[in-house]
Amino acid sequence: MSLLPALVVLPVAGGVIAWLADRLHVGTGVRMRSISWFVSVVVLVLETVLLVVESLRPALQAGGWRDHFFLPWIAQMGIAVRLDMDGLSLSLIWLSLLLCLACVMFSTRQVTVSAGVFHFLFLSTLTGIIGTFLATDLFLFFFFWELMLVPMFVLIAQWGHEDRQRAAMKFFIFTQGSGLLMLLSILGLVIIHYRQTGVLTFDYFALATTGLSPLGSMLLMLGFFVAFAVKLPVVPVHVWLPDAHTQAPTTASVVLAGILLKTGGYGMIRFDIMLFPDAASRFAPVAMGLGIAGILYGAWLSCEQDDIKRLIAYSSVSHMGFVLLGLFSGSWTGMQGAIIQMLAHGLSTGALFLIAGSIQDRVHSRDMRMIGGLWAAMPRLSGAGVFFAVASLGMPGLGNFAGEFLVLLATWRVSPAMAVMAAAGLVLAAVYSLRLVNRVFLAPTRPGAQPVTDFPARQMALLGGIMVAVIVLGLYPRPFMTFAVPSALSMTAAASGERRAP
Amino acid sequence: MIGHDIFLPAPLPVLSAGTMVMLLAIAWRRSVIRSLVIAVVTLLAALVSVSHAFGTPPADGTGLFVQDRWAIYTALLILLSVLCIVFMSWRDLVRDAAHPTDEYPLLMMLGTLGATSMVFSASYMPFFLGVEILGISLMGLIASRHYRFAQATEAAMKYLILSGVSSAILLFGMGLAYGVSGSLAFVPPVAAAGFAPSMAQVATVMILAGMFFKLSAVPFHMWLPDVMEGAPPPIAAFTAVTAKIAIFASLVRYFGAGPLPPFMQGVIYAVIILTIMGGNLLALCQNSLTRLMACSSIAHMGYLLIAFFSPGRLQGGAMTVYLVAYTVSTLGVFTIICACAPAMGQDGNRITAWKGLFATNPLPATAMSVMLLSLAGIPPTIGFFAKFEIAGTGVELQRDVLLLVLVIGSIIGLYYYLNIIRVMMNGGVAPSLPIARQPQPELTALTIVLTIIVIMGGLFPGPALYPLLPATVKTMPARNLTGTPPEAPIMKTAIAPPAL
Repeated sequence: MSLLPALVVLPVAGGVIAWLADRLHVGTGVRMRSISWFVSVVVLVLETVLLVVESLRPALQAGGWRDHFFLPWIAQMGIAVRLDMDGLSLSLIWLSLLLCLACVMFSTRQVTVSAGVFHFLFLSTLTGIIGTFLATDLFLFFFFWELMLVPMFVLIAQWGHEDRQRAAMKFFIFTQGSGLLMLLSILGLVIIHYRQTGVLTFDYFALATTGLSPLGSMLLMLGFFVAFAVKLPVVPVHVWLPDAHTQAPTTASVVLAGILLKTGGYGMIRFDIMLFPDAASRFAPVAMGLGIAGILYGAWLSCEQDDIKRLIAYSSVSHMGFVLLGLFSGSWTGMQGAIIQMLAHGLSTGALFLIAGSIQDRVHSRDMRMIGGLWAAMPRLSGAGVFFAVASLGMPGLGNFAGEFLVLLATWRVSPAMAVMAAAGLVLAAVYSLRLVNRVFLAPTRPGAQPVTDFPARQMALLGGIMVAVIVLGLYPRPFMTFAVPSALSMTAAASGERRAP
Repeated sequence: MIGHDIFLPAPLPVLSAGTMVMLLAIAWRRSVIRSLVIAVVTLLAALVSVSHAFGTPPADGTGLFVQDRWAIYTALLILLSVLCIVFMSWRDLVRDAAHPTDEYPLLMMLGTLGATSMVFSASYMPFFLGVEILGISLMGLIASRHYRFAQATEAAMKYLILSGVSSAILLFGMGLAYGVSGSLAFVPPVAAAGFAPSMAQVATVMILAGMFFKLSAVPFHMWLPDVMEGAPPPIAAFTAVTAKIAIFASLVRYFGAGPLPPFMQGVIYAVIILTIMGGNLLALCQNSLTRLMACSSIAHMGYLLIAFFSPGRLQGGAMTVYLVAYTVSTLGVFTIICACAPAMGQDGNRITAWKGLFATNPLPATAMSVMLLSLAGIPPTIGFFAKFEIAGTGVELQRDVLLLVLVIGSIIGLYYYLNIIRVMMNGGVAPSLPIARQPQPELTALTIVLTIIVIMGGLFPGPALYPLLPATVKTMPARNLTGTPPEAPIMKTAIAPPAL
């Protein structure tokens, strides 16, 4: 029996329970106010248990696919609930769960205004994300892809900061609009496949065998690319990101930066590069150019920011440029680098957003000019902040460095000029990261600062876990590099030694 | 022909009988509640009898009516939507004891009769009668309320004049069609010998223009926002849903599910683009909720026309599921407007009046959001699947420009639908709505039922996906006007073979 549907459905079911529990306990006492929080913790722990079981299973087939689930859904259209898990999806789901646990431990308990609804939305976002990582039916994938937008929209619009609603609208319209182009691409691929074989199906593995003309595959690939580029984000379509990340409540910022952006990278690997390898390789120079632009532009803008969350948001744009560069470099090294970068960025930036949120909770400002040196008042928080800022800078020995190094290596083989430009982004990364460290943590304490509480040990332990993960990713990325690569397109493909190169 | 072997789908006599009973009851003594009860009973009887008929359809297909799956399906949608609308209006009518308005349910029954007759008609005569009965009763309904009378009268006058113009064009087209083909059958005319083929084309285009008027496709859309704004909310729903279903069903029956004649392709192309863009852009600059819904209704008709224009494997399923999605979501929005309007004043028309609804009335706010998301085409609602199907039909026929317009229109649509949700979330300091309001069990129940349909339809849209279209129309061979009998005319056969 496959556990995959349970993995997808559990969070949203738990969310409903959290909501109901909260409604039933409205006004019964202060102690029960955080009942929805307890439900969330239980749900996430159960989900972790499921995932552990899932991780320990032996691989189903030689192709690298670990688990499989199939249930017909809309038979007339050839749509099925088909879920498959390989190393890539498993790693990204682990990342999602780790970050969600961190969110729950750090910040969601502070939500007091309709906490039940908040946890319901938070957990349904998680359902959408996990579903996106697992779906191998294109309709189902699109369904989950859109499904995670609505709760995220409400989270930003309702619990965000001062300019939240505009940011939420921008986020929703950008993502949904580009999603429509992907929908057209999906439909186009399905119809072409139908014309060739007479079978109407949305199955990923069946559609992968469709024969396409060069122009057709390029157009379809671009439809997918735009949707994923908005999520990733790639530079001309990144404009929703700084606003959304800045205005979102801490939890939503962490989920956005840590996980939602990864769905874009995941989609590029799974759908752009694996489904349309030829078109992707023809498109590679443009994509790599966009990646370089993202690295430099994001880093440059990041250096200019005074708002701490905005600084981190722009640094995400820069880091995701490396992901794009690696994915389209056309080699396994590049793709492995991009995946390591995705995991490391998820951990380090997620943690940075947690810390930024905690600072805002304590100091009530995101403006670095107003915050001043926190080291004296909050050594634990500042220590963690410095660690993750340094990780985001690309310090050797930490995860981001491993990813960026592999990407640069792969890029150098394609085009040394591009590698040089991308490496220049690392210099800028040092500038903005050190500015962050200097202005927030190491600056002299501002006079008249209010007394604040540092992180308790429980939260430090969790942050410590994330730090260990970042260090392991940096020092010994080998197992992740082989484990987290996408599996072959065919379920029955034997591991014949040679993997299909993108 | 008419006298001895008449073929009559059962809902028509049932509705007529119900109307007459109601008239008798009113003549005896006026009572709104009794009229409403008669209306509900009549509608239920019509629902039960929807697939029955009196007489047998004439073998040569020259009857006045036809009863295939498409007709039954659209009639069902019409009857169910009117049932919802009766429940929506119930409280308003009963509460207002000073102005007994028995005419309201009476006119609504008449309008339903007209709409039902349109979807069952296989000849110009019952179709045109249906259009006129529907139009005239709508005019009365629009002007039915005694408060805000000036606006209501203005809306009714506008509707009367524009509806009259469109009926005239329609009638002219029909006359021309009869003139050149010698047949009243409800299919595009083919010129008989001795007439220029262009005459038949002119007739077709005139009929098409008349239908577009009723369907409020751009550039024939001007009346809809004004009329819907002036009408009471349930009647606005009647205009946006029931009348639209009837005319769209007739449009599909008239031209059939096959490819359109070549001379119409360009016209339809242009109308679709204009309708989608026009509807969405107009909706963007509305600050009245009813007007916004009117404009969004225009845009949705544009999306539906894409499916109409793209005959293919997916067309049948796309149309059926889209009609359900549009009907349910629009009715849902208007139900919630009716439920919340008394507390807001001005029929809940001003979008700003909806500020903070999430904080004061979470249930209607949530339901409203679900309906709006369904209209915008976001999962897990039925509207998402409907839009997906529409896009599928377009991709199948490679209507690239239309698909692009669909995407742009959807993005614009997303903005104004989300904007309403945003306003409802906007906490603000002082909620503009009083928290306590009188309980409205029927509206609450209706809201919940419609919300469940929207969500369940989004998760399991399979059952709504039957291709029910009438069979591809072979254009009727012209009856020879000189008197020789035509060789077996091919009318549309009763039931389309399932294409999927």
